[in-house]
Amino acid sequence: MNGFLQQDLNQETFTLNLGPQHPATHGVLRVKLVMDGEYIVEAEPVLGYIHRMHEKMGENRTWAKFLPNCGRMDYLSALSYNHGYVAAVERAAGIEVPERAEYLRVITVELNRISSHLLWFGAFVLDLGGFTPLLYAFDDREQILDLLESVTGSRLTYCYFRFGGVYNDIDDAFITGTRAFIKRLRKRMPMYDALVTKNIILIKRLKDIGPISKDMARRYGATGPVARGSGINFDVRRHEPYSVYPEFDFDIPVYEEGDSMARYMVRMDEIEQSMRIVEQALDKLPEGEIKPKKAVKMVKPEKGDYYHAVEAARGSFGVRLVSDGTNSAYRLKLRSPTYSNLSLFGEAARGMLLPDALALMGSLDLVIPEIDR
Amino acid sequence: MLLAKIKEALSSLYEDIQEAPEEPAIEEAAAEAVPEAEAAPAPEAPAEEGGAAQDAEAETEEPEPAPPPGPKEMDYKAKGFHLDVALEPEKVVAAAEILNRENFFIEAITGVDWIDEQQLEVVYDFNHFAELCRVVVRARLDRSNPEIPTISHIYQGANWHERETHDFFGIIFTGHPNLEPLLLPEDADFHPLLKDFKA
Amino acid sequence: MGTQDVQPPIIHFDSLDKILSLGRANSLWPMTFGLACCAIEMMATGASRFDLARFGAEVFRPSPRQCDVMIVAGTISKKMEPAVKTLYDQMPEPKWVIAMGNCAISGGPFVFEGQYGIVEGADKFLPVDIYIPGCPPRPEALIEGILELEEKVTGFRRWPRVEAK
Repeated sequence: MNGFLQQDLNQETFTLNLGPQHPATHGVLRVKLVMDGEYIVEAEPVLGYIHRMHEKMGENRTWAKFLPNCGRMDYLSALSYNHGYVAAVERAAGIEVPERAEYLRVITVELNRISSHLLWFGAFVLDLGGFTPLLYAFDDREQILDLLESVTGSRLTYCYFRFGGVYNDIDDAFITGTRAFIKRLRKRMPMYDALVTKNIILIKRLKDIGPISKDMARRYGATGPVARGSGINFDVRRHEPYSVYPEFDFDIPVYEEGDSMARYMVRMDEIEQSMRIVEQALDKLPEGEIKPKKAVKMVKPEKGDYYHAVEAARGSFGVRLVSDGTNSAYRLKLRSPTYSNLSLFGEAARGMLLPDALALMGSLDLVIPEIDR
Repeated sequence: MLLAKIKEALSSLYEDIQEAPEEPAIEEAAAEAVPEAEAAPAPEAPAEEGGAAQDAEAETEEPEPAPPPGPKEMDYKAKGFHLDVALEPEKVVAAAEILNRENFFIEAITGVDWIDEQQLEVVYDFNHFAELCRVVVRARLDRSNPEIPTISHIYQGANWHERETHDFFGIIFTGHPNLEPLLLPEDADFHPLLKDFKA
Repeated sequence: MGTQDVQPPIIHFDSLDKILSLGRANSLWPMTFGLACCAIEMMATGASRFDLARFGAEVFRPSPRQCDVMIVAGTISKKMEPAVKTLYDQMPEPKWVIAMGNCAISGGPFVFEGQYGIVEGADKFLPVDIYIPGCPPRPEALIEGILELEEKVTGFRRWPRVEAK
């Protein structure tokens, strides 16, 4: 009977299309699934539904005109993308950044990281079926958005950094507001912990689901919380320090198990670490200029190619720019972390149940416009 | 140190290049001066212009500056990467195998269209989890017939990177399991990032 | 646009029409059709602070068969355009379309000479009723857009207008 059933099973696979329109947490991703009942035999993500030609625009626009694009690639942690691009151009053109501007950059980037993780948290639990944590997470997130709006002027797609500094300074209202917010969020994190993290349903849905080994992460180039959830201690802020990160004392959460629960815990711990960085930065904030003394009129990097990487909320975001000495890039390559993180989905989802595969996809923290660029 | 180890390992790929009178750097990484070729230009000199310096044997007068053979160490603070390895297209697979043995991970693969020199360049970025060491592998291809062997059997992440590079530049990665459009529509027959692309 | 394709009844009851359109306006069910950044502002509008549920539009249905209004939030790429048209066709009458954000109105910041990938505006292939500019528009702007749509459906404005001080 077994042999008969095996033969029949091979003819029982069907193709299921997941997306490109599905509940709007991830974006427009389509996954072609070959299913055997509820088990996935093969999964192949299909991209390109939100390809917005950022790299072509990098060649058409001048260096400064490309700045609004940076915020729209990964809109949830837009300031990290600002930072990566601006730091790459500053490295290429040799522009110095005043210290106060570096501190402001770190403060706003870390606040942005907290808001990105909060939204991920809400959307991830929504994927698994729980609607309420989303509303709580958005409440906290709105407070961060208020703070950042008072400084940068926008709620979501920030364009706050300029070559050589930032364009607006913070005032005392921002500092007191941020300290109050951190105090409030610290009081609320145990609530998230008790209600969600220790929830038996969440644990059963995430523990041992979607294991990613260290070697798999290495072969696909996965970085960020996906790698740190698999035991790889790699964070660009520690590994390859840039800006003023060496001055702060923070931990890098690393979990060894490699399953979805580990990736979840990495991000929840990172919220606490980001709060620590913001507090230390506010304590140590120096006085000074926020723009360079010699105003940067026209950015003209030397000929050649340069690379700069920053730690975005999803991994290591790299900018490789090839300059030919004119006022726009010759080639601008944006290395997006989620692109490499998603490419391992095809291998990792084999043999999984469909709901478990969705839990895996949620734990990879996808933002599709960043993949498609 | 990892940088010295990987530089020595990659130098072995250059041993059969006839035109290079200088031996590739078997010395320690501290002795950055590869004899006769890179002694004079500053380390930040980009690879594309390296040939324009006082190279005795490299073709300096031609508009195509062939990068002088041997892995070049770069000033990390200025450029952002440590080692620049310019290779023939056929040697890229061997380089990827060496890097895989040393547990590097693939960061990105991209292309650059040098239309003035009628060449397409494929650039591979590698990095290491444990110790910071960025290795950039480059290969120049003829623009009218750009073909290069794939490394997706060594680094599975390269599968998508190569598809994207093919989408944007039309570079054929021979041996790739499915070189279909990734970011462009399935029936796209144009390559947008070429410099002579008209919408 | 809107209710044009609904078969008109043989006998018209004016007050019944008014009641029906009031009912429709009071419970517009949007489709979760977030494409890009504007989707996050749409989620924020449905979340705790701005609360679209006050206006009856809380139930974001993933399936087009159960929705009244399609909020096109984000850039429409050429690869995605057939899918958007299919989803629009699958919605039952009467249906409306809101173009949210600059990308859905006219292509947004991604229009440049020689662009090859996006459709410059949802109204190139869909009948759009309300345009909400912004990049991304604030949640208050989306709420104002829903209220404008309600005005279009019922014929009168049911909520006070916010005056600039």
